[in-house]
Amino acid sequence: MAEEKTRVDFNAPKSLVERADSVVEILDISRTRLLIDALEDELEELANDTEFRRRLGDAYYQGRVDYETVEAILGREEAMRMKLLRSSIDRTPAEPRLGDGPPSDEAFYDGDVPEWRDEESNA
Amino acid sequence: MSEKARAVVDTNVLLNLATPVVDGRPKAPTGADPLKALLTAYDVHIPASVLGELGEATGNGDLLSAAADLVLQATQHLTTHDVDERHDDPLGYGLDRGESEGIWLANELAADLFITDEFSTTNYLFVALALDDRNTLFTTPYVLCTLATHRILPTEYVAAALSYYVETKSWDAGYVAQLRQQYLVD
Repeated sequence: MAEEKTRVDFNAPKSLVERADSVVEILDISRTRLLIDALEDELEELANDTEFRRRLGDAYYQGRVDYETVEAILGREEAMRMKLLRSSIDRTPAEPRLGDGPPSDEAFYDGDVPEWRDEESNA
Repeated sequence: MSEKARAVVDTNVLLNLATPVVDGRPKAPTGADPLKALLTAYDVHIPASVLGELGEATGNGDLLSAAADLVLQATQHLTTHDVDERHDDPLGYGLDRGESEGIWLANELAADLFITDEFSTTNYLFVALALDDRNTLFTTPYVLCTLATHRILPTEYVAAALSYYVETKSWDAGYVAQLRQQYLVD
């Protein structure tokens, strides 16, 4: 089933278009095909890029992009995870109660609290 | 004890909360104890398999091992349930034994909270699916924020701890940033 198409016009540096046209001629494909392939490759690469995913996540958690956008770029499982996490931010957990205040380490732990140090950083 | 809300946790939650307490490096937050805070503010339950997983983490001389030692020194503040005999149908998905049994236990006890660190991967979906549909699923960073808003942990400590975890664990930084903005900023 062919997806509906939309027309895109844009300006690009002349030398870039000339380079693209040379490639198009050698590969014997249309200029449109080359552009679509290049865009798809770029979007796929971004979807696997940690920094981009972080920025997309921030945008989603802040409500700047919608669920459908996240799903289209990162896939359904990842989008579902972020949707569940975002909705959980407004949930209210059962209230913690401290009672008589925090116990001392001696009263709380069975033994001394161990302290771990990175040997390299002490060297 | 009975007035405290009941929480079920998995192994990683306990290890992660103990980690900054035992981490003597300068980048670790100091001045509070999130493990002690959780175990005193809630009535915390675990499946017995968590003790086994903690035992396996000890003895290596690394940071994780020190954290496991500390958790094991606090087990008198945990209620342990032997769920082996009653739970012979593993949940599967990508969840390990401790997590699967923890979810089973949370459903069985109708716990008020199930706390997990499995929120940065799609495992979170499976945890959400497997838990009965109640107001139960919370993450470690969320619970730390809650302990701060109830003045059980200092806000500055929790803010520093969240940065520490995002730096040292692969925690979803965007989600943690949202929590920080919503709960740690007046």
